[in-house]
Amino acid sequence: MATAETRLAETPQTGEMPPAGGSPSLLNRLLKPFRRGVPPAPRRATGFYTDTTVCIGCKACEVACKQWNQLPADGLEWTGNSYDNTGALSATSWRHVKFIEQFPLDGSAAAADPEGPERDGARLSLDLLPDVPTPGRWLMMSDVCKHCATAPCQQACPTGALLHTEFTNVYIQPDICNGCAYCIASCPFGVITRASFDGHAHKCTLCYDRQRDGLVPACAKACPTQSIQFGPIDELRQRAQQRVEELHKRGVPSAYLYGDKPTAQYSPLHSFYLLIDSPSVYGLPENPVNPWVHMLGDYARSVVSALVMIAALLIVLYLGSH
Amino acid sequence: MQADSHPQASSSHYASGPVTKAPNWHALVAWDTMFNGMATGLFVVASVGELARPDIFTHVVTLAYPAALLLLFADLTCLVLDLGDPLRFHHMLRVFKPSSPMSLGVWCITIFSLFATAVALLTLLPIPDGPGLQWARRLVIGIGLVPALLAAIYKGVLYSTSSQPLWKDARWLGGYLTASTLVLGCAEMLLLATFLGSPEAVNMLRHALVVLLLLGSAPLAPFCWEVRKDLARMNRGKLSRAGLLSIGVGVLLPLCLLLAGSQVSLELCAALLVLVGGFVTRLEIVMAPHALS
Repeated sequence: MATAETRLAETPQTGEMPPAGGSPSLLNRLLKPFRRGVPPAPRRATGFYTDTTVCIGCKACEVACKQWNQLPADGLEWTGNSYDNTGALSATSWRHVKFIEQFPLDGSAAAADPEGPERDGARLSLDLLPDVPTPGRWLMMSDVCKHCATAPCQQACPTGALLHTEFTNVYIQPDICNGCAYCIASCPFGVITRASFDGHAHKCTLCYDRQRDGLVPACAKACPTQSIQFGPIDELRQRAQQRVEELHKRGVPSAYLYGDKPTAQYSPLHSFYLLIDSPSVYGLPENPVNPWVHMLGDYARSVVSALVMIAALLIVLYLGSH
Repeated sequence: MQADSHPQASSSHYASGPVTKAPNWHALVAWDTMFNGMATGLFVVASVGELARPDIFTHVVTLAYPAALLLLFADLTCLVLDLGDPLRFHHMLRVFKPSSPMSLGVWCITIFSLFATAVALLTLLPIPDGPGLQWARRLVIGIGLVPALLAAIYKGVLYSTSSQPLWKDARWLGGYLTASTLVLGCAEMLLLATFLGSPEAVNMLRHALVVLLLLGSAPLAPFCWEVRKDLARMNRGKLSRAGLLSIGVGVLLPLCLLLAGSQVSLELCAALLVLVGGFVTRLEIVMAPHALS
């Protein structure tokens, strides 16, 4: 780590210490969440642009994120899914590198190695890759919270724990969250998880603490290929568009940006991606929908149901007397 | 956000799996949904009954309002215990955010609990008779109907305003659960009226339950149609049993029993079956994202 970062890491956390003793501690616990500070002035919106075409799957981003945020280890469980042994984003894994192997499952591979490992009902040999007539490819992508401009998790949160920071990133205040899990139910990307060790929801903070000190998020800092790029979101979008155009000229017509622009049913993402296959191949929803699009209609139907049932009850009660 | 087509050679492990994560809501939340329906449904039916026909229901509500309050306590207990950090339950009152169904629900339940407590106390405590006090009591009951109804309505909307499989496509889930809440309330009133030996109330509630069971099933059709693909994906064996219990035991059988004749045993059985069917339905709804992920 750079000297400045080392010093920063050693700086003790500032903030109020809770008073000692039983009753004051209980009072503090009851009242402190209701206190409000002065919100910081808005600053230029920042985010991530992840160019998956240059990701090498090194997982430096996963390691850097865990190290900086002091996230506990998840143990080691072989998933059997390529080199992905993290499995999914979770309360203790805020970065997750995905590996998508796309190699032919046609008869050429099967005939060449009938004893090879089976996959999806066809035999696929890993030993004969260089000789396979149709070259395959390996897609890698570092998944993270999308920091949606209009985040369903933030809309859902009943405690106000989830908010947009001055950098327009989505942040969970760890001292406010009570683990109701409605944010988990609302997220269309499956990002947030509730931790078993404290019962609170956790996710990528976009290194809010590092940003406030003028530093780059740990994952972007660690990424050796600059697959993960951090900066003002408008600059990132321009840069990403240029990269897409470049790839198109270089014979990759399938390159496109995912989440850079709003759709009819979802806001833009402040962590958007350059992909070269369908979103579902990367485990992303093809067309994410903000659940709040339907909320008013759902309320209307419920109110109508209630009124119809009460009207029917009243009719029976009055008719009953006659 | 679609890519140009690429000759994809093999399927992606991620494409075949779920994108969303199911929330940590299990049987405790099913019980919360049930107790919420029972408490609000009982209060609403008791209130409507007392305000519309005080001559018939005044005796029944002496038990109904305290029972609704006890059910509300059970509901609140389930809600608090289900939190990841139950000691922070009061953080729910930190903000008033009506755009969040859960925030609106918490506030409505909180306000409803005040009215439910007031009405239960007015019912249980010996209060001198007088037209002024009677009107005051009716006013409290009438105003209390609003948070009670909202507390009944928010639950289904909370589920459908999410990204979870089955819930996210269920535009009629809120409508169905709200109607079901009133059916539960009517069944509970019937149980109480039978227990208290109020034949006029029993007779009226029996007719009301038949009508509400039929009407309350109406939103079920569009709900099932909306989520037919997810229902088909769920385990067929389990679905058959759940469907049998929800609709057969919870609706059809009670209807038959109620229409069979006016007998205490039939009425009691019908009311209990409605409650059982109501719980099974709620359990299936709450567990659906887990079954589909």
